[in-house]
Amino acid sequence: MSQYVLELKGITKIFPGVKALNRVQFQLKPGEVHALMGENGAGKSTFIKVITGVHKAEEGEMFLNGTKVDFKGPRDAQAAGIAAVYQHPTSYPDLTVTENIFMNHEIKKNGLIRWKEMNHEAKKLLDQLDADFKPTAEMGSLSVAQQQMVEIAKALSTQAKIVILDEPTAALTANESEKLYRIVDKLRDDGVSIIFISHRFEDMYRLATRVTVFRDSQYIGTYKVDEITNAELIKQMVGREITDLFPKPDVTVGAEVLKIENFSRTGYYKNVSLHVRAGEIVGLTGLVGAGRTEVVESVCGITKADSGKVYLNGSEIRIKNPTDAKNLGIVLLPEDRQKAGLILEWGLGRNVTLPILRKFVKNGMINENEERSLSKRLLEEVDTKAVTIFDPASSLSGGNQQKVVVAKALAQDNMKVVIMDEPTKGVDVGAKAEIYAIMGELAKQGFAIIMISSEMPEILGMSDRIYVMCNGSVTGELKRDEATQEKILEYAMEKNAKEKRTVNKEGVN
Amino acid sequence: MEKKSVWKKITSSRETSLVIVLLVLVALISIKNPSFLGMQNILEILKNNSVIMIMALGMLCVLLIGGIDISITSSLAFAGMTVGMLFKNGVIHSTLLGFVIAMAIGAVCGLVTGLIIAKGNVTPIIATMGFMYIYRGFAYLVANSQWAGADALGDFKNFALESYLGLGFLNNVLFIVLICYIVFFVILKWTKFGRNIYAVGSNAEAAQISGINVARVKLSVYTMMGFLAGLCGALAVTIYASAQPNMQQGKEMDVIAACVIGGVSMNGGRGSVGGALLGALILSVIAKALPLVGIDALAQNTVKGFIIIVVIVLNVVTQRMMDKSNLERREM
Amino acid sequence: MAGKSGRTIEATPQDVWKKRIFSWEGMLVVLFLFINIFCRCISPNYTVANVLREMPKYLSEIFLLLPMAYILMLGEIDISVGSTVCLAATVACMATNANVPFVGVILITILTGAVCGMVNGFILLKFPELPSMIVTLGTQIVFRGIAEIMLGSGGSVSVTNTAGFRALSGEIGPFPYVFFLVLICGAIFVVLSVKTTFGRSLYAIGSNSRTSFYSGIKVGKIRFLVFTLMGTFAGIAALFLTSELYGANTTTGNGFEMDAIAMAVFGGISTAGGKGKMIGGLISAFIIVCLRIGLGQINMNPQVVLIILGALLICAVLIPNISAGLGLKKRKKI
Repeated sequence: MSQYVLELKGITKIFPGVKALNRVQFQLKPGEVHALMGENGAGKSTFIKVITGVHKAEEGEMFLNGTKVDFKGPRDAQAAGIAAVYQHPTSYPDLTVTENIFMNHEIKKNGLIRWKEMNHEAKKLLDQLDADFKPTAEMGSLSVAQQQMVEIAKALSTQAKIVILDEPTAALTANESEKLYRIVDKLRDDGVSIIFISHRFEDMYRLATRVTVFRDSQYIGTYKVDEITNAELIKQMVGREITDLFPKPDVTVGAEVLKIENFSRTGYYKNVSLHVRAGEIVGLTGLVGAGRTEVVESVCGITKADSGKVYLNGSEIRIKNPTDAKNLGIVLLPEDRQKAGLILEWGLGRNVTLPILRKFVKNGMINENEERSLSKRLLEEVDTKAVTIFDPASSLSGGNQQKVVVAKALAQDNMKVVIMDEPTKGVDVGAKAEIYAIMGELAKQGFAIIMISSEMPEILGMSDRIYVMCNGSVTGELKRDEATQEKILEYAMEKNAKEKRTVNKEGVN
Repeated sequence: MEKKSVWKKITSSRETSLVIVLLVLVALISIKNPSFLGMQNILEILKNNSVIMIMALGMLCVLLIGGIDISITSSLAFAGMTVGMLFKNGVIHSTLLGFVIAMAIGAVCGLVTGLIIAKGNVTPIIATMGFMYIYRGFAYLVANSQWAGADALGDFKNFALESYLGLGFLNNVLFIVLICYIVFFVILKWTKFGRNIYAVGSNAEAAQISGINVARVKLSVYTMMGFLAGLCGALAVTIYASAQPNMQQGKEMDVIAACVIGGVSMNGGRGSVGGALLGALILSVIAKALPLVGIDALAQNTVKGFIIIVVIVLNVVTQRMMDKSNLERREM
Repeated sequence: MAGKSGRTIEATPQDVWKKRIFSWEGMLVVLFLFINIFCRCISPNYTVANVLREMPKYLSEIFLLLPMAYILMLGEIDISVGSTVCLAATVACMATNANVPFVGVILITILTGAVCGMVNGFILLKFPELPSMIVTLGTQIVFRGIAEIMLGSGGSVSVTNTAGFRALSGEIGPFPYVFFLVLICGAIFVVLSVKTTFGRSLYAIGSNSRTSFYSGIKVGKIRFLVFTLMGTFAGIAALFLTSELYGANTTTGNGFEMDAIAMAVFGGISTAGGKGKMIGGLISAFIIVCLRIGLGQINMNPQVVLIILGALLICAVLIPNISAGLGLKKRKKI
């Protein structure tokens, strides 16, 4: 009998044109929580999919309790007691919780599904996880955290002995993460072995005993969590040392540029007032769902506020649609850059010039030479890692995609206010520093910057001033020198005690 | 508390509101024209719309997986015409054999369509548009500039007039409709295959990951659709006692419309057998009722199209109102 | 800017002829030549003069192809155009029979089409949640329904005074007017799609409407505009159709929407939106027209012609998919 429940050796996986995994190895001890870390594109997700039989490795061997196994598909892995909770909840929004849990291993009798028993079993599993919703609820009406819980229940329902969690805390609030930690603890105590992928160091320190690092599709090493320092770990992940993650420049803050007064939109935010000055970086933070994104989206004309006023350089403005915002020089870098910031199948150049095409029009036609030279200049200015401006945006990493979005903003030469919504989400450590540098540079050039972020270090490291939102209202404002993690959390949770589960219908249809 | 939520469930359910619409329609019409509610009349309406009602079941499944099939009336014509010509030329005489052949042809048509869509990754609208031409062409080729009339069909045409399958109580055609609805209700509600159909439409990627063979589900659904179209080909021949290559042309839109009125989402994952039935019933009641309430038969299509638009717009409006009231309830 | 590595990014497009020839459009040109040679071989009557004489019969559908290509680029679909043609043709015939001057007839017909397009566009503008497939399914039934009401129990109308329509189907030398008009409109549509901000917006919306909206492109307005354009051209198509048929009935324009979509898809314009070129759609339209003329000349059963067209349509999408799939497998082996 092997000392490992799961062992992989020399796994190589090739996708057309790329080696996604290059002879990597991995060992999982029984009953341990093992963190798997690495930058985006290091091959973690592909590796998980090899374990769960979604992808088939070209080379390498996999052992389960010492016996060699060869999964032909996800079903084999499921049968062998391996279950995965993926990064993007792989749920069926139109179906009930019960169905999501038992999809493809329904309880049947004579070929017919036993709904009563299934609902009953689902209820038991949900109770085990302290879930606060019914098994008959529709999946699409649940919050992300609740959906995650369903996914875990799904893993439990297969009697899995090995559970893989792929970035489970990415979309969770601090409270919800804590709840997840407790669930993971409980699973471990029940003898389940867990592989845990996360970008958050807190997760790793809280849960894992060992950590394995991948970099550039290769295995770097496995370490005991209490024997490796944070800096050392980052170095292993990035491959070099990062000296100054937050290069915040000293900028003399100028006059007030944008001011929002008593902004309200039913169900999203209420009486929000904030302002930002030239050269200032204002952090806007709070738990996910506090209404931060919703406020700035209304400022930019994507949605309409019910009441409230917006002032630009002291005079009141009315923004009815994104075109108005664009013409006034208010630019939003959306959170979901793949779906709202870029056209992935387009070349970088065309992405950059999308909002300002009119500038190149001569005699009714686009002057493409001018267009190309401008996008080339801007893409070089933000130091995009690309070969030509015709490379499709989909071919870039998250960090470089974000740089293209920045270049797209810079193309709008009337820009006064830059609103960055989670600018480093899905961006790996190396590229993060570069994004911060660009942000600092923008502040130096006198732009007014609003940065929405859930990441505490980035809020504390980059902001001149911080607004904290909770449940649709601004609950606190902190200056750079008075801000601490504790204070921010206090404001962010202010109304948390009263917080009720309300179904957020947005995005369901 | 429990009671209230049950009540809420009933009023908020799509099917209930459709039942109400149907009842109101029937009530209005029968006030104006009492003969409408006669047993004979109702059975006649059902029989004349049985083809649409049966195909709505197949279309329901197709829409559930996020697809669409506009080739169905072409395969219907191909199957129906073939059977018609076989009877006409005296090749077959058995009614049962006629049905089997029609269903087999339909199933093969559906299988081919499904293969192109599931294995060849051709978008459903394009693939079925191509097959709409092709199968209709086949129907014309089989017909060879002829058609099969009542005298050529022999015993086959009597099938729709008799009721031996329904043990003398229920017309044969309606009996088949009933069986189809029971079978599909069971499949979609209580079998793994049925739930896999919902899963594929709701999130195909997730379905793939949880080990569902998405391509096979798609293939089966289109084959099933074809099978039903074939069945309807035979039914149409016996109901109208004639087989013509242009039969039921354009009716695929009625089938889709029935599903859409019945609340089946064109994005996949949402819809029910009950909804499809109610949608088909509402459409057929309207078609039958217009002349009864004094609206010129010529205006039938206009009214039908108008109702489709009103229903889908109302859908959006109620959804928006529901979202809004949800938002207003949020505590801040 | 900070952290600059001095990296340069290439910005000159590489104009590779090989790439152009092996593109879908290049293949269509080859196919166009091939089809013409093929038709010449099977039919001794397939001469330039004859082809031009027969062409107007088929050309009216090309008017539908042009804006339909735009609609597909947007990622939308319009299946109501056949009915719009029917309604507009009915209006044209009735207006002529009511002794409206011919210029008036032209205006009323085009306006009828435009209004139909606007109705579609308006519903989609006000209710962006609705897929265009369902909306135009509804209006398809309504538009033809209105024509049915207008046509009355007879179900058809003939033009009594054909002078105006006959003038419309006139010729300059061997070329019919409509041929020039199609070419001019085609050229305008090609240029609009590749050289203007409007064209770029079409592709942007079709590829990712959310990004386009966030980038300040007026998504709703452009969608409304394109659907109105579609209706307007359906009106124009109805005019030329009437000048061929001198009448209209309840089945006029039946299946035109499918033909137009088929031409566009065969030309490489994907129904998923954001892909394909207008020029490809145009070439494919002429391929189909030539094929129809050629096969018509040898008296091929029109149903067989439809079977061939259906098969071509499926193959046009299937073959690239299969070859892409094979290419993937091949590369995997390395």
